[in-house]
Amino acid sequence: MKRPRILVLRAAGTNCDLETASACNQVGGAAERVHIDLIRSGKIRLMDFDILILPGGFSYSDDVGAGRILANQIKLYLKELRHFVRLGRPVLGICNGFQALVKAGVLPAAHGGEQTAGFTANDSGRFEARWVHLRLNTQSSCLFFKGLPEMIELPVAHGEGKLVLKSPRQLEELKKNKSIAMQYVSDDGKLAGYPANPNGSIFNIAALSNPEGNCLGMMPHPERYTTRFQHPNWTRQTFVKEGVGLEMFRNAVDYCRG
Amino acid sequence: MNDKTDVLTKKTSGPLPAPKPAPAGPGSYLVEVNLKPDFTDAEGSAAQWLLHCAGLASNAVRVGRLYDLRGPLNLGHVHTAVRELLCDCVTQEFRICPSAGAAPHNGCLWRVEVWLKATVTDTVGESVREALRDLGLPDVSVRCGVSYHITSKCGRNQLDKAVARSLANPIIHHFSLHEAH
Amino acid sequence: MPTHTAIPPQTPETIAICGLRPQDLQAANARHGWSLKEAELAAIQSHFQALKREPTLAELETLAQTWSEHCKHKTFTSPIRYNDGKKTRLIQSLIDETIFKATKQLNRPWCLSVFKDNAGIVAFGSKWALAFKVETHNHPSAIEPYGGAATGVGGVIRDVMGAGLGAKPILNTDVFCFAPPDYDGPLPKGALHPRRVLSGVVCGVRDYGNRMGIPTAAGGLWFDDDYRLNPLVFCGAVGLLPAWAVRKEVKAGDLIIAAGGRTGRDGLHGATFSSAALEGAQLSAVQIGHAINEKKLLDALLTARDKKLYRSLTDCGAGGFSSAIGELAAQCGARVRLEAARLKACDLSPREIWLSESQERMVFAVPPRSLKAFAEIFASEGCETAVLGEFTSSGRLEVTHGKTSVVDLDMRFLHDGLPRIERSAVWAPQKPAPIKAPTHKKSLSQILAECLGHLNVCSREWVVRQYDHEVQGGTVIKPLQGIRHDGPGDACVIWPHAATGDPSDYQGFAVSHGLNPAYGKIDPYRMALACADEALRNLLCVGADISRAVFLDNFCWASPDDPARLGALVRAAEGCRDAALGFGVPFISGKDSLYNQTRDVDGKDLAIPGTLLISAMAPVADVRKALTMEIKGPGNALYLVGWTAEELGGSLFHQVCGRCASCTAPAVDTRIALAAFKSVQSALAKGLVLSAHDLSEGGLGVAAAEMCFTGESGAILDLDKVPRRAPIYSDEILLFSESASRILLEVAPEHEADFIKALRGAPAKRVGTTMANPVFKVTGLDGRVALESDLCDLKSTWQLSLPRRLG
Repeated sequence: MKRPRILVLRAAGTNCDLETASACNQVGGAAERVHIDLIRSGKIRLMDFDILILPGGFSYSDDVGAGRILANQIKLYLKELRHFVRLGRPVLGICNGFQALVKAGVLPAAHGGEQTAGFTANDSGRFEARWVHLRLNTQSSCLFFKGLPEMIELPVAHGEGKLVLKSPRQLEELKKNKSIAMQYVSDDGKLAGYPANPNGSIFNIAALSNPEGNCLGMMPHPERYTTRFQHPNWTRQTFVKEGVGLEMFRNAVDYCRG
Repeated sequence: MNDKTDVLTKKTSGPLPAPKPAPAGPGSYLVEVNLKPDFTDAEGSAAQWLLHCAGLASNAVRVGRLYDLRGPLNLGHVHTAVRELLCDCVTQEFRICPSAGAAPHNGCLWRVEVWLKATVTDTVGESVREALRDLGLPDVSVRCGVSYHITSKCGRNQLDKAVARSLANPIIHHFSLHEAH
Repeated sequence: MPTHTAIPPQTPETIAICGLRPQDLQAANARHGWSLKEAELAAIQSHFQALKREPTLAELETLAQTWSEHCKHKTFTSPIRYNDGKKTRLIQSLIDETIFKATKQLNRPWCLSVFKDNAGIVAFGSKWALAFKVETHNHPSAIEPYGGAATGVGGVIRDVMGAGLGAKPILNTDVFCFAPPDYDGPLPKGALHPRRVLSGVVCGVRDYGNRMGIPTAAGGLWFDDDYRLNPLVFCGAVGLLPAWAVRKEVKAGDLIIAAGGRTGRDGLHGATFSSAALEGAQLSAVQIGHAINEKKLLDALLTARDKKLYRSLTDCGAGGFSSAIGELAAQCGARVRLEAARLKACDLSPREIWLSESQERMVFAVPPRSLKAFAEIFASEGCETAVLGEFTSSGRLEVTHGKTSVVDLDMRFLHDGLPRIERSAVWAPQKPAPIKAPTHKKSLSQILAECLGHLNVCSREWVVRQYDHEVQGGTVIKPLQGIRHDGPGDACVIWPHAATGDPSDYQGFAVSHGLNPAYGKIDPYRMALACADEALRNLLCVGADISRAVFLDNFCWASPDDPARLGALVRAAEGCRDAALGFGVPFISGKDSLYNQTRDVDGKDLAIPGTLLISAMAPVADVRKALTMEIKGPGNALYLVGWTAEELGGSLFHQVCGRCASCTAPAVDTRIALAAFKSVQSALAKGLVLSAHDLSEGGLGVAAAEMCFTGESGAILDLDKVPRRAPIYSDEILLFSESASRILLEVAPEHEADFIKALRGAPAKRVGTTMANPVFKVTGLDGRVALESDLCDLKSTWQLSLPRRLG
């Protein structure tokens, strides 16, 4: 069967690229970890790939805001990204990758390339690593979610993950076009405050997608939950077969195989 | 003292005016970037806690980033740098001051600037410098600092002591205090 | 900014020492901050007298760096005349006769590199090896906690990156010793408050480790007032490297290439500074690290390693180029041209370039034919390189800048010319301090609550959450465990599938620590054994194979010039030896940090308690069989393995109520302990155990309570069932004694018979039962309920203690 080519975009400071590529390969993708300089120099072309993934990390050390410098480089060197998305090819930004997609104006998608959302420091004022309960938007057509249960668990690890919007009106718009892909919830599925919502994001937003559902940005890390042995309670959850994160990568690969 | 240090630009980001003609010779600009007032400043709360532990009561603290840019650049360059790199158009606002010591922000009583001493390597400054070069701007020297806008009725001595015990380490930092009128 | 500036030839700064009298030499020594001893100064003087020339300042500083306590571990390698309280004997070299001796005697074939490289290296399966290193960054963290801790983490990561032909770091560890964050006593001028030290250090470790993408998943915290002027910051790293990449060798003709960050005027005098008293120290020793530069270096290094483009490498730590190149070239020689170095500022003198301790730099030995490919790989990651010269077969260290000679030293004199100075040491057991009688008798439940809320036991979640402990996706057993992911794990288990690239290989490894300076105040020998014992039990509890375990030692001590302190150090080293031999676990790497004492407000030297950290690592054959510590459900049996005795010296109980007359620190009988550990391991391997937790500070009471509230399951214990050899008539002692080598295990009823069979011969007894009711209940020796506590109360006491005391 065809192995879709997956570009795992790397820059100085990216640090979740290995496990992300590994997850892609486990579900039948052919992942290549590519430094953005190779795209800048034209040696590697985005359009030759079926899927683009921006993994987590601290691109360029996040020195002037998380993902800011990478976002600039995406705007400058990945000019075909918009076209790539329009063609319906899957794009996934995880954590720092999500932050960069937002700052590059790719997500939220409705505004012609203008940045309309941003991130501020977690309400706790600290970097935090913890597992969270997430509710997927069952109405969204996000291709990564096919066959997933409505409630899932994934780990988050970030210091600057509080999503904020340029204007309050925007939230209604995001709801209307089903762009709110995931929300942080308590273990009984309700919208709740800290620590269920680990950063204080508006409307508990954990992930955003474009209305078409092929471009997804998320703060949680699906590549850290590919086998059941990565869950904090795996020693008592004998019924789980595999990590729910792996299914998200499989969905993207299967989508490309048609 | 702060009345005299003119603030050249004080506006929230958005469409920028056409760059003014470049001043002749090397420029020196201080850019201050702050979180917009409508957002909770978690970093500020953390700083407030540190000050509290050092024995200083305050009603609020907000934290800003300072960028001291020096080299062959003009105001247009600075605006490009701010727009493209230093200031997030959704969450932050900025102002450009001709030199250190700008007035406190949004009616705070005290403004504290904390800078690394010149003898200490400024790693963030190095990153910013490279990122500016990537944007096609002239190569300039960059030093990064932090500003604290503190709403507190404390006196100068009290603040000086508390800052030295919490927000700045006199071994590697120097800091200055600016009071509102 | 210009990087290659032609500096006109200049005469290097020479120091006239050949004609100086001893006292003038000593004055020069003090003026320049070399921290050399009198005999060392004399050796240097006579060396140059024979050469009929004066040394350059750069030469003297190179010697001072290379001969520093930091680099040469003089106390551990020099003769010590030791009086153990009965007779006096001469120890030729403490390390050779204790720790090295044990490792040599055990002679484990899977120890691939011990005590010679930047980190100890052991085999990991047939294709891989693991490098493990732990070191301290105490003094810099005391004066600038954030920068000091961050550069400490950066340094130990580089050590692992420079182990063998380069390892990929896959785990960071951190252990801190501080004064309590709510310390309210006086502090001398300039000393930072413990709260500030704690939060700064945690932020430093967090920011560097997280940015490097390495999970910080194992560690510990210890509080004692006497760390207020000398906090201890232990940073560790484990790296994975292919088995073929363990050996490194430099050949004459290889190019000396510096890669990574640029050289600036940072941190001159780091090595000599760490042995000097804090006050008045060179302020330039404080540095700020930049993880991004190290990440670039790492990404480039691993690619170049797999293409076999270099023959050896090492990191630039204390002493900068002088130490790194001096070390790499020790067996051959080196010719260095400093004008080729890439600089941060163009006004550095040649001496400053040579000795600068700028962060994130490494030195490689690259065959000339590989130069182009090597440089290209580094450039593609945005990492700068510079050819500084070449390795030679001259046996000399020749350093020039332009036409000026900066250093020209004989390698043999540099590395072996250090005179061995004899010290004397005495071990005199300290009389226990009289204990204040309590004003009222505390109930058992009150004592348990105070133990759980004690700083040395309470939850470390505030710290652990700030570390990205799951990056790389392989933290199978996490530092925070249980139903709500917040209980205290014994050890972490790492499954390095992302680094090996093989998710079908379920081999992993576990890392843990043992540290208890409170026992050391009574007897450092017992402390060493107890620490080793605890570290090993922690590994056992998560399902690791302790027959393949290894230890690392880290000694932090006050001045060894004081015979009593040195005597205590000798005792601790002997404890390490006996632990290694008794448990059959070799030491593979170690470090020491001495002179941890500073003048307090009263003008007297405040010394830290003698502190030994034992870090342990062992493979986990199949991570899918690993274990967590929390109770898994009601109706299961609780078994206690190991003898309980009246050993409350240095215990938490002691600190909480001070009601104990005996003052014996826990003793370890390695023969009995090891036999019991082996049977526990076999029971674990057969899948007969649901959870396991070691007994340490606070004894049975604290361990059982932690298992209960983490698993949200109650338990009832019967103290009369606790295995003991000598009679004990007190509920308190049975519940809170800290006897070593004990483990509490949860066994399902259907596995009990097989479990008993597996444990035959070991001191094991069923001491209780788990239950659904969320209470922790203890039946006393008189058969009545001696303690009954609500799990929620116990947990919140345990959880809220640290955040509350942080302010």
